[in-house]
Amino acid sequence: MYTTAILICGIGFTYASVPLYRMFCQTTGFSGTPITNSSKFGPERLVPAKESRRIRVHFNADTSLALDWSFIPQQREVYVLPGETALAFYTAKNKSDQDIIGLATYNVTPNKAGQYFNKIQCFCFEEQKLQAGEAVDMPVFFFIDPEFPEDPSMRDVDTITLSYTFFKAKYDNNGTLIPVPTL
Amino acid sequence: MSFGRPPNISTFKPTPPEKGSFPLDHEGECKQFVKEYLECLKKNQGNNGNCRHLSKTYLKCRMDKGLMTPEEMNNLGFQDDEIRRTEEK
Repeated sequence: MYTTAILICGIGFTYASVPLYRMFCQTTGFSGTPITNSSKFGPERLVPAKESRRIRVHFNADTSLALDWSFIPQQREVYVLPGETALAFYTAKNKSDQDIIGLATYNVTPNKAGQYFNKIQCFCFEEQKLQAGEAVDMPVFFFIDPEFPEDPSMRDVDTITLSYTFFKAKYDNNGTLIPVPTL
Repeated sequence: MSFGRPPNISTFKPTPPEKGSFPLDHEGECKQFVKEYLECLKKNQGNNGNCRHLSKTYLKCRMDKGLMTPEEMNNLGFQDDEIRRTEEK
């Protein structure tokens, strides 16, 4: 009797562990799962914290050697308050004579501040195709989380650097987008 | 994840943006607003507070031209923008 009950519980738990694990991963971002919890971006959190000091956000841009684009930030830095949404621009120009697909990734330093850097919309992770000789503005719309000033380990953080790197990508014979390694 | 790496509590994980990627403005339809915003930033030494109204007009331009899914300005952090602008001054 007890064995049957334990057996049924065990099987039930095994079945339940799949959605439970998925929920756990999505809330904590364990093992690199993207956190798509949109309550972080609710309008009540996008209020500038006027009593806070302004944080300097510095912009950096890099391209892979295989990518013949010029990619530069249009402003060296902006000073933002936590909770204040800000817009920043990068300009990319395809200097070659062929259409090229680029794929961008980004990094935030110092590492510990990365968790407070929230991007509403940008141009990373999705392919961006530039025709030969084309130049285009690429905006980044972001804000520093309003909980930033409450974290004691962030007290010494006055500058956050946002660094974008563009890589070259192309479609292979199967129609999959693959990165082109640096030659 | 690799085992045996030195303990580093502050690893950075790139996360996707909330609203995804901006479609590229190939025709430069909103380029005028970009210029205005960047000039404002230069004049204010990068102080974002004084130039937010211009970023609002830029995003509005994108929404009008179909380069951005329409969104309430409140959800993008532009509540009481007028009041704040006069306070900053």
